[in-house]
Amino acid sequence: MILIGELSLWVALLMATWGATVGFAGAYYKRRELIASAERASYATFAFLILAALGLWTALLNSDFSFRYVASYTSANLPSIYKVTAFWAGQSGSLLLWAFILSGYSAIAVWTNRSRNRELMPYVTATLSAITLFFVMTLCFGSNPYERLDWIPPDGTGLNPQLQNPGMAIHPPNLYLGYIGTAVPFAFAIAALITRRLDAGWLAAVRRWTLVSWFFNTTGIILGMWWAYVELGWGGYWAWDPVENASFLPWLINTAFLHSIMVQEKRGMLRKWNVTLVVSAFLMAILGTFITRSGIISSVHSFAQSSVGYWFLGFLVLAIALTVYLVATRLNDLEAKAELESLVSREASFLFNNLLLVGIAFAVLWGTLFPILSEAVTNNKITVGPPFFNKVNIPLGLALLALTGIGPLIAWRRASAENLKRQFTGPLLAGITTGAALFAVGMRDFGALVAYTLCGFVSGTIIQEFWKGVGARRRMYGENPVMALVRLVARNRRRYGGYIVHVGIVILFAAFAGLAFKEEFDVTLKGGETYEATDPYGNQWRFVSQGVSRYDELNRQTTAVLLDSYRNGKKVGVIKTEKRQYMDSRGAPTFQPATEVGIMEGIREDVYVVLAGVIGEDTAEMRITFNPLVWWVWYGGMIMAVGGLIVMWPQAEKRRAQAGYSTVLQPAEQQS
Amino acid sequence: MMDASMNRRRFFAASAAGVATLAIARAARAQEGAQEGQANTGAANTVMESDRFKSVQLPSKGPPVMNQAKRDELEHHIHCQCGCNLDVYTCRTTDFSCQVSPAMHRDVMALVAGGYSGPEIIAAFTAVYGDRVLMAPPSTGFDLAAWITPFVALSAGIGLVFVVLRRLRAPVLAPAISPASADATPSEQARLDALVRNDDR
Repeated sequence: MILIGELSLWVALLMATWGATVGFAGAYYKRRELIASAERASYATFAFLILAALGLWTALLNSDFSFRYVASYTSANLPSIYKVTAFWAGQSGSLLLWAFILSGYSAIAVWTNRSRNRELMPYVTATLSAITLFFVMTLCFGSNPYERLDWIPPDGTGLNPQLQNPGMAIHPPNLYLGYIGTAVPFAFAIAALITRRLDAGWLAAVRRWTLVSWFFNTTGIILGMWWAYVELGWGGYWAWDPVENASFLPWLINTAFLHSIMVQEKRGMLRKWNVTLVVSAFLMAILGTFITRSGIISSVHSFAQSSVGYWFLGFLVLAIALTVYLVATRLNDLEAKAELESLVSREASFLFNNLLLVGIAFAVLWGTLFPILSEAVTNNKITVGPPFFNKVNIPLGLALLALTGIGPLIAWRRASAENLKRQFTGPLLAGITTGAALFAVGMRDFGALVAYTLCGFVSGTIIQEFWKGVGARRRMYGENPVMALVRLVARNRRRYGGYIVHVGIVILFAAFAGLAFKEEFDVTLKGGETYEATDPYGNQWRFVSQGVSRYDELNRQTTAVLLDSYRNGKKVGVIKTEKRQYMDSRGAPTFQPATEVGIMEGIREDVYVVLAGVIGEDTAEMRITFNPLVWWVWYGGMIMAVGGLIVMWPQAEKRRAQAGYSTVLQPAEQQS
Repeated sequence: MMDASMNRRRFFAASAAGVATLAIARAARAQEGAQEGQANTGAANTVMESDRFKSVQLPSKGPPVMNQAKRDELEHHIHCQCGCNLDVYTCRTTDFSCQVSPAMHRDVMALVAGGYSGPEIIAAFTAVYGDRVLMAPPSTGFDLAAWITPFVALSAGIGLVFVVLRRLRAPVLAPAISPASADATPSEQARLDALVRNDDR
C-alpha cells in the first residue's frame, strides 16, 4: 500500500498536469472532448491522492521509520490515534492533506455542476486543476512525505506532546477544509472574469462554497482556540500569533463577502468589490500558508523553515498578477447595475460592515507583517504582540458589533425616519438597560461596559426580528409560538440562520469582554498548605495542595499536583494539574515537558491551574487563574456553526421560493 | 486601559529616566559580560544562552512603588527572550523548562524592590535588550507607523465608501435611467415601490 501511495502521488502529478492543460485548452477552443477529459482528470487526481494519503497513513500506522516523515513525527510507542493525526503534524504531510482536500473539493465542484454553470465550468475545472497541480508539484519536488532515509532508525523522534491532544485530531483538518474552501470560489471568480459572465449567475455557485469555507474556518478557529486554552497553558485562547492571524484573515474576508453578496444579489451593486473579496479570501489563505511554511515570522505554529514557503510566495505573486490583469481588463463588465437610493439603507450599512471587516483584516495583516518591515527599514527587531492587536482591533470590533445590530434594522433601498424610529426603539432600550444594569451592579470597566451595552443592543435587534417573524406566522397560519419559530427559521434559513450566527457573535463578544475581569495568582504551595483568593464575582476560594506526585503512564512520566478546591467554604472539587515528560520507546525523554492544565469549568468562570514548576520534593509553583465566561466562547462558536449549517443547508433557496419567503414576512414588514 | 496609561506615563518617564538608565544599563551590561565568565553567578543563577538573557540591574533608589498585581501586569508587557512568543509573566508561569523568564522576572522584582516605576523598568529593559523586549512596537520613529497606519487606512476607507456611495447615488438624478418608472403614474409607482420593498425583505 505504501508503494502504491508513493506512486499514486506521481500519477496524481500527471493527472493534475493533464487536467490543467486540457482544461484551459478545451475552454479556450471550446472543445467538448477536452473539457470532458479535464473533468475526468479531476476525478482521477482525487482518486490517486486518496491512494497517496492512504499510503502515508499505512506508513505511519506501521511505524515504517525508513521514511523521514514517519521517523520525524512518530515513535513506536505513540498511541495509534496520534499516528493517524501525525499525518498533518509536519510540513509535507499537511501539504498532502491540502492537496487531498483540494482535489476532493474540485471533484465535488465538477460533479455538482455537471449540468449547471456550463459556460463557467471548463475554466473552473482548469483553474482548480492548476491549483492542485501547484500543490502536488510542491509535494513531489519541494517537500515529499515519501522521502526515504539512508538508514532505518530503531525509533522515531515522536510527536510533539502539544499535538497529542484530541483537539489536534480535528482542528487542523477543519481549518484546512476552511482554507482550501476558498479555492473553489476563486476558481469561479477567475472563470467568470475570463468568460466575462459577471452577472449574478456565478455568485449563486460561489455563495454556497464560501459558506462551506466559512463554516469550516469558523469551527477550525474555535477548535484551535479550545486547543490553545486547554493545552498550551498560557491561560488564554487567542494570542494574536501570526498563524492564528493567518487563519483569521480569510474568515474576515469571507464574512465580508457573505454580507456584500446580498447587495449584489438584491441590488446589482458592488460587483467589482465582490470579485475582489472572493479572490482576496483565497490569496489570504495562500499568504497564511506562506507565513506558516517560510518561517519568515516567528510563531508557535511555524513548520521548519524551508524553501517550500517561497514556492507559495511565487504562487501568490502569480495569482495576484493574474487577478489584477483580469479585473483591470474587465472593469466595464463590473459596473453597478443599479443606483443607491439613500445613504440610510441596508446596502449602505453593508458597505460600512465590509469596510470594518476589511479594516480589521488589514490591521491584522499589517501587525503580522510589520516586524519584517520594521527590521528592513530600521534594522531593529521588534515584537508585535497582543497589546498592539488588542488596542487596534477592540475599537474596530466593537464598531462591527454595533453594525451587527444596526444593519438588520435598516430597510433595503431607503429607510424613512418613522421606520427607523420604530425599528431602533426596542434594541436601543435593550442596550441602554443592559449597560445601566451592569453599571448599577458595580461594573466600572469602560471597555466591558461598552461591549455589554452593544451586546444588549444587538440581542434586542435579533429578538425583535424573531418576534416579528413569529408574530407574522402566528397571525397568518395560527401556529403556536414554537411551531411558528421553527417554521420561520426552516423556511427562511438564509435570513434567520444568519441571525443565529449573530447570536453566536454576541455570545462571543460577551465572553471576550469577560476577560477584562480575569484574575491571576502566583502560588507556591507545599503539600497540605492552603492558598486563599477572591474571584471576580467576590467568592472566596480556598485551595489545599495534596502534594506533588510522580508516576509513569503510557508514553510519559507525569508530575501532578492535586488541589482540593473550596468555594465559600464548600468543597467543589479537586483540580489536577500536570507536567508531562514524554519518553520514546527506549525510555529516553523526548521534547520539553508539556503542560496539562487543570481546569474546573463553569458557566460563570473557569478555575485554571497551571503547574509552572516543582521545588524540591513537595513544593509546587502554580498559576491559578479565574477566567470569567470562557465557557461561552465555545458555546458562542457552536451557535455560530449551527447558524452556518442552517444557512447553507441544501434546498434552502428552493424552499424559500416555494414557501413564499417574502409573503411570510409581509405582515411584519407592514407593521415595522 | 492599563496600556494607555502606561504608554503615556512611559512617554514622559522615559525621557527623564532614559539617559540615566542608558548609562547605568550599559554599565550593567558590561558587568554581565564579566559575570558570564563565572560559573552560575548573577541574576539568573542558571546556565542559559548568554545572548538571550541579559541582566538588567539598577541601584536601589527608594521603597517599592508597585504592588505585586501591578508588577505582574507590567510583566505582561515585557517579551520573554527565550524564543517563545510570550510575555515574561505568562512564560514563567507556564513553561516548566524556560530559564530566561524566571531570570527576567528576578530582574523585574529587584527593580520593583529598588523603587522603580513601571515606565522606568520598561525603559531599563529597553536600554539593555532593545525594542524587541516590548510586546508592542514603540510609538516613536518609524515604528509609530505600526500604530497609525491601520487608522489612516480605515479613514481612507471611510472616505472611499462615501465616494462610492455618492457615485452609486448620482445616477438617480438622471431621469433617463428609469424610463419605466418615469411612465408610471404616482399611484403605480407607489405600489411598485411597496412591492419591491416587501420582496427585498
